[in-house]
Amino acid sequence: MIKVTRRALTATLLLGSTALAPMLAPGTAAAQEREVNVLLFSMPSTRGLAALADDFEAETGIKANIDVVGQDVFESRITLSFTGGARDIDVVHTPVIQVQRWVEAGWLEPMTAQIDGLADKDDILSGPLEAYKVSGDYYGMPFFAETGLMAYRKDLLEAAGVGVPETWDEMLEVAKAVDSDDTAAIAMRVAPGQGFNMFVFPMIMRAYGGKFFANYPDDMTPAINSPENLKALNTYITLMNDYGPQGIGNFNFPEVVAALQNGQAAMTVDGTSIVSQAVDPAASKFADQFVLALPPGGPAGRSPAIAVHGLGIPAGSENADAAFEFVKWATSTETLSKLAINEAYPDFTRASVAENPEVQAKYADVQENFLDLRVEALTLALGHYRPLIPTWPEIGAAIGENVNAAVNGLMSPEEALEAAEDEMKSILAY
Amino acid sequence: MRDTSTAFRVKKALGYAMMLAFLGFSLLPVVWVVLLSLRPATALFEPIWESPAAWTLDNIRSIARSDFPAALLNSFITAGSSTLLALLVGVPGAFALSKRRASNKFFASWLLLLLRMAPPVGFVIPLFLVYVRAGLIDTYAGLIFAYTSLTLPFVVWSMWTSFNQIPDELVEAGLMDGASLGRVLWRIVIPAARPGLVAAGVLSFLLAWNDFFFSLIITRSDTTTAPVAVMNFVSYASVDWGAIAVASIALTLPIVPIIVLANKYIVQSLGGAVKG
Repeated sequence: MIKVTRRALTATLLLGSTALAPMLAPGTAAAQEREVNVLLFSMPSTRGLAALADDFEAETGIKANIDVVGQDVFESRITLSFTGGARDIDVVHTPVIQVQRWVEAGWLEPMTAQIDGLADKDDILSGPLEAYKVSGDYYGMPFFAETGLMAYRKDLLEAAGVGVPETWDEMLEVAKAVDSDDTAAIAMRVAPGQGFNMFVFPMIMRAYGGKFFANYPDDMTPAINSPENLKALNTYITLMNDYGPQGIGNFNFPEVVAALQNGQAAMTVDGTSIVSQAVDPAASKFADQFVLALPPGGPAGRSPAIAVHGLGIPAGSENADAAFEFVKWATSTETLSKLAINEAYPDFTRASVAENPEVQAKYADVQENFLDLRVEALTLALGHYRPLIPTWPEIGAAIGENVNAAVNGLMSPEEALEAAEDEMKSILAY
Repeated sequence: MRDTSTAFRVKKALGYAMMLAFLGFSLLPVVWVVLLSLRPATALFEPIWESPAAWTLDNIRSIARSDFPAALLNSFITAGSSTLLALLVGVPGAFALSKRRASNKFFASWLLLLLRMAPPVGFVIPLFLVYVRAGLIDTYAGLIFAYTSLTLPFVVWSMWTSFNQIPDELVEAGLMDGASLGRVLWRIVIPAARPGLVAAGVLSFLLAWNDFFFSLIITRSDTTTAPVAVMNFVSYASVDWGAIAVASIALTLPIVPIIVLANKYIVQSLGGAVKG
């Protein structure tokens, strides 16, 4: 008995004593050498960027401490750092949908002079860059722009004797023909959230001519309960409930990706980062059967989704020069080309990257016209696909909840849009 | 006689069946995680019978190559150090509170409880700001001190209860025989309160080991602990379920031997029995 006791006691003590020595070891930035602290959230291009950090130091002599964390971790850390005025971060991952809110709160440093001073500014895709302009000033540099595409199984569409749907009305027909007991016709994100169902649903909305506001940005009267939006919502509900996989009512990107890769769904319409996982031979069982195409359109044309991510500099940064050096390096043609080659998605934000033969060869290998499709979709995409207003995160979340409730049958489509309209009004009034 | 015995057997069998069913139910998530950790990405969401041959060690390899092992080590270092610190400070503190004749014990006990009751979210922002100014962000020292704010009140509280069960006469006898107070504590009181000590150590280690919130706020890449590192496998447009499964196992495994080893003492201590 006593022996066991001693052992237990030593075990407990050992756990601690191995630890006392290094207690004071690594610390935060030693001020003498030039360093930048970079906070990014995890996606292939940011992980790729972190892997290239040594290149940055070799080129500039500045050490980049790049922290790549999960999205939830990112949000807690950055909110605390901003609200506390901690100035512990020099370069921050700035999703375009947050930029208005962050600028309104005074959290970002303008970068207009530096960006205008870039010799190759014209090479930056103007849509993504202009999205970072708030009342005349740039507050970020885009490094990633993903756009909406459709992925479909050519074998299943052929077997069903149907063509590729060009409109959402045609999509209803095609889905009906393709849907089988083994494979659902279509899987899209339904989970509520401004970056989840409200990333994909506006593609249907806008194709039918639906809008969020009466006339963005001049007349900001909510217009979510329009007949066009109702039509779009009904199409979405039918597609998901009648031709979607089981449990679709809570599908988010991991479920959509898994359904495509494992042959449980024949089609999806989503961002490049999702659809490219369907054509990725390393992860998808049906990579050779999936074909990428433009998303379906409607009476108002096609409106591919767009998501832009960039780099910003927190307000009051004591290290702004070194921080912009990092931003410049991270969004340079050279770095973006390396990322497009090393990682899975072609979501670069400079036109010159598409001229790089290595980049061309890599994506032609996935699908002959992949890069052209992307450019076409980016050209079609509305800069304000998701309205560029400070309250969008709340508005998007509110609409997303109601749209999700309608798909799950908790309220009728009409009720859902009415409720969304009311919530938009109260958020805007506040 | 025979009837009752049959009835008894049936009852017993039913009891076992229920216990087994409940055991299976409780263990299902664990079994599932183990299975997930050994399946390739393409077979993760399939029933096993559809691809019975699809097994892989890739998830384990990719975890081994990632930052996760370093995060696991960080967890050990910080949870271990803060436990040790809490025991070093807390045990003599609890001894004093238990054996000293003082009038303000009621106040002290409430203060301690209050520390245990206050949700960390209430003081994390001030803590964060102080840490930023003091340069304690992303340091072991910073995280260990933060964890000690969890573990110390716990150690004091639970050791206080353990020491209370040791008769004062034992302490007095020691002092009477000429031992110093420290010697009495070390030679007489602590051995007598061993189950409580082991339980306090193990439970406070777990308290720090399982922490997510402090690590989330005050660590960066150098000192991130394992529970936060697990979250980093949830990324934009993809979730690495295989890696999360392996990481969850890696996060649980080190705890198992500790619990098994200390189980007896924890039960004794929680049951309130002290063996002399």
